[in-house]
Amino acid sequence: MRGDLKTIKRASLRSHGVQPEPAVLFAVLALPFVGAALTPLVYRVLGERTAYFAAAVATACLALVLTQYGTHGTVSVEWIPQLGVNLVLYMDGLAFLVALLASGVGVLVFTYSGGYMHGEPGQDKYYTTLLVFMGAMLGVALAADLVALFVFWELTSVSSFLLIGHYQREASSIYASRKSMLITVAGGLFMLVGFLFLHDVTGSFALFDSGASQGIITNAEMVREELSAQGLLLPVVALVALGAATKSAQVPFHIWLPNAMEAPTPVSAFLHSATMVKAGVYLVGRFRPLFVPEEVYIAEVWTPLLVGLGLLTMTVAAMLAVSATDIKELLAYSTASHLGLIVAGFGFAVSYGGEAGAFHILNHASFKAALFLVAGIVAHEAGTRDIGSLSGLRDDLPITAAIATVACLSMAGIPPFNGFFSKELLFEAAWETGAHFGGLWYLVPAVAVFGSVFTFLYSIKFLSLFYGDRPDGLGEVHSPPLAMVAPAAVLGLAVVVISLVPNLAIEYVAGLAYEGVAPGDAHSFTVPWPIPTEVTPYALMSLVTIVLGAALFPFYDRLHGAIGRARRFPYTSPNAYYDGGLAALERASGFVPAYVQTRMFRTYAASTLLAVCALALGGYLVAGTPIPPFGGLDSLTLLGVVGGIPLLVILLVALFGAAAVGIADSHVAGVLTLSILGFMVAIFYVLASAPDLALTQLVIETLVLLIFLLVLDKLPTWYGDLEVREAIPDAIVAGVVGVTVTLTVLVTTSAQPSQNIASFFVENAPIPGEHDPVLIDAGGGGNIVNVILVDFRAFDTLGEITVVAMAALAVLTLVGMRNRGEDV
Amino acid sequence: MSALAAALALQQSEPNTQFVLAVVLGLLFAIGTFLVLRRDVVRVVWGITIISQATNMYLVTMGGLAGSVPILGHGEAADPATVANPLVQALVLTAIVIGFGTTAFALVLTYRVYEEHGTIDLAELGENPPETGVSANTGSTMDGPEADPEAVTTADGGSQSGTDSSAGTAGVGDD
Repeated sequence: MRGDLKTIKRASLRSHGVQPEPAVLFAVLALPFVGAALTPLVYRVLGERTAYFAAAVATACLALVLTQYGTHGTVSVEWIPQLGVNLVLYMDGLAFLVALLASGVGVLVFTYSGGYMHGEPGQDKYYTTLLVFMGAMLGVALAADLVALFVFWELTSVSSFLLIGHYQREASSIYASRKSMLITVAGGLFMLVGFLFLHDVTGSFALFDSGASQGIITNAEMVREELSAQGLLLPVVALVALGAATKSAQVPFHIWLPNAMEAPTPVSAFLHSATMVKAGVYLVGRFRPLFVPEEVYIAEVWTPLLVGLGLLTMTVAAMLAVSATDIKELLAYSTASHLGLIVAGFGFAVSYGGEAGAFHILNHASFKAALFLVAGIVAHEAGTRDIGSLSGLRDDLPITAAIATVACLSMAGIPPFNGFFSKELLFEAAWETGAHFGGLWYLVPAVAVFGSVFTFLYSIKFLSLFYGDRPDGLGEVHSPPLAMVAPAAVLGLAVVVISLVPNLAIEYVAGLAYEGVAPGDAHSFTVPWPIPTEVTPYALMSLVTIVLGAALFPFYDRLHGAIGRARRFPYTSPNAYYDGGLAALERASGFVPAYVQTRMFRTYAASTLLAVCALALGGYLVAGTPIPPFGGLDSLTLLGVVGGIPLLVILLVALFGAAAVGIADSHVAGVLTLSILGFMVAIFYVLASAPDLALTQLVIETLVLLIFLLVLDKLPTWYGDLEVREAIPDAIVAGVVGVTVTLTVLVTTSAQPSQNIASFFVENAPIPGEHDPVLIDAGGGGNIVNVILVDFRAFDTLGEITVVAMAALAVLTLVGMRNRGEDV
Repeated sequence: MSALAAALALQQSEPNTQFVLAVVLGLLFAIGTFLVLRRDVVRVVWGITIISQATNMYLVTMGGLAGSVPILGHGEAADPATVANPLVQALVLTAIVIGFGTTAFALVLTYRVYEEHGTIDLAELGENPPETGVSANTGSTMDGPEADPEAVTTADGGSQSGTDSSAGTAGVGDD
């Protein structure tokens, strides 16, 4: 690794910003994985305090990420220079924001886990996986190469799978983890196909210019034109969007997210609200400059697809959140809804859209992670997550209630909390787009408002858990440990800070991220604080949202019931299709054993042999390999054969021996005729000028004969009568194999391969002339085969000896251990 | 290069040899394949032995049968053109020994199959439903009386639904 770092070279990018430090970026990426590798060992020493070790690793990553603040550019290290493959990392405002969330929320979540996971099983696995996830997420943020991006992307899916299935014996955990895995990994594969299309068109996997290689996003204009010319624009956008939609739980792929709440709550806060699900929107943001040209109101394909997807998700998921009965379920649907908002924001071609997306990534991470931690505290201390039985928690959990209040008001989009500002930007984007095109396009802002009303409703519902009367059914509520309150408080404080100085947060963080998602040269933006003072259409949209929400809140229970009833209507939920599809797959795979896994060795052997024959013959056919012509029977004279008559006799006897084995009517007769073949092969080696082979063959053949006789003594003399029904198809298979081998031998022996290796051995095996007098009398190097075996290829011989030794051990075990096992 | 050309010329001049060997090897493979498809495990082992013998012969054939023994006399100058290809010989020597190891292993497996199941008829072995195989195994090699009858049922149910079976396993584990 150290050697590799020496070859690190810097490359400049479109912007003039300060270059990131290569060593630091690679360290950020490496640290979590090193930490994960050490965690099992650390756990043996520290036990439950491993949480703080993991938090320290995350803190180190956070510190390293912070040192790279404001830098911009790629760093690359040669990976496989022969293939032109480099590991390229990229740092800009967007990468910084996601890396900041991954490591920053990581610190809080690890600390929180120290309290939450107290007494839970499998903690070493938990922290290891969580650290691997953090590394993968940092990899997604920093990757500047499609291949690396895909690898880290799938790594986050795998670690999410393991974390959702943390309680691995619970049926619901298994269901949930399988669901998330199938959906997100399948989406990732579609995304990979999109990447391959991009590679096909551009010939490059690099996203940004680095050294000599051209980046895809840096040359957006050219790539976009080329894609349009080849008709690949829609497929590529759709495939990349599919990857993002599955990862970011967009409708109709949102169904895995509520199930994913089976994971321990810190995992939900980390993966399923602040970071992993952000990978999808990050991808959308990253590709936005590629597909959105400058100075347009609508980007071809991109805007209709993503705005439609985002607004649909925002609305549907918000309505589903209203129908939720469990606080984590509510937060899960709410997360999907807010991710929809970000996707829609990035979908708009007007600049406000990119601003809304970039700013909301930050805002959503702050208030939603806080709320998940709050939900964890409530579930942990009150012992229930049922919305119906929770109320008036303010007295028992005063600090938690304060955090929840701030976060919920922000989620609801009430000024001057930070969630309001990013939503306002989305309204601006929606209005600008709708007003520019007019007509039906006014639906866009209308849908945005409609979805936001539901967001307002469920946010206030969540908040109401802390106020009002305390129900009698609620048991004693304990005070949460500091390790759990402090991280939630930090996040709550972050909400407050961003709410107080949103323009500073934009200037220093979100604005830089916006530059990463905007085409061309972008500049930072500001929002009116604390509330919009001018009467604008979008300010009115916010007002309408809040007023409608407040007016509808008294009817929350009716809405809750109505949506719940609608959800029970069959075939409305994608879940039904997922479950049905899975059941159909399971039924279909039930048929496989009947036809493929017949438990008959005959079937396996025949299908394998025929498949190999088909591949070989097909290969010859496709490659147009010429079959050497047979000179005709006239030329087939006995004297024309190298080795002459003896060789022919030997071969004939060998064939008769083999044929006799084929028709032997007892085991002993078969073994004896098999030896005839073996000994004839030995003589064949003699005629082929291979004395060493002949000697070996003689020794081995004798040994094999002995072992056969020894084993046959213990076996029954049973002999399966030859059934014609079986023999005929078998003879056909055998014939096909025979013909294939004959052709192969003809083709290969007529080829003229280079004899360089053989010549090398012949020339180098003997002892050099000048040493002859000294060494030749003591130990000769004249036998070239021997020299190859013990000198040039000594390791192969070692491997051979190992195989024989393993076979001997296995024989010993199989013969000797059976009875010993019974004694025990 | 002249050495290479000479070696090739030696081989090329005798098209009969490769044709005869190709037919013989094809027949050997066919007989071996036919034996591999038999029901008797011992015959399957024979088939594999014949196929591996034929493969070794094939490799030697590929090196060319012409040429002198690859053993050089004292102080003799080596000429690749006149010496039989030592590379394939070294390969085949290894292959013979490993073939011996696998044959011995296959035979002992046969013996063990007979010990466990009382038959070496592959058709009969294949027809037995999996439960019987499992319980026969546990009955003789593992702690038979301890074997949980439910465990077998669970393994059977596993083919229907992953969720159900894992829940079942968890249940058994709790017991």
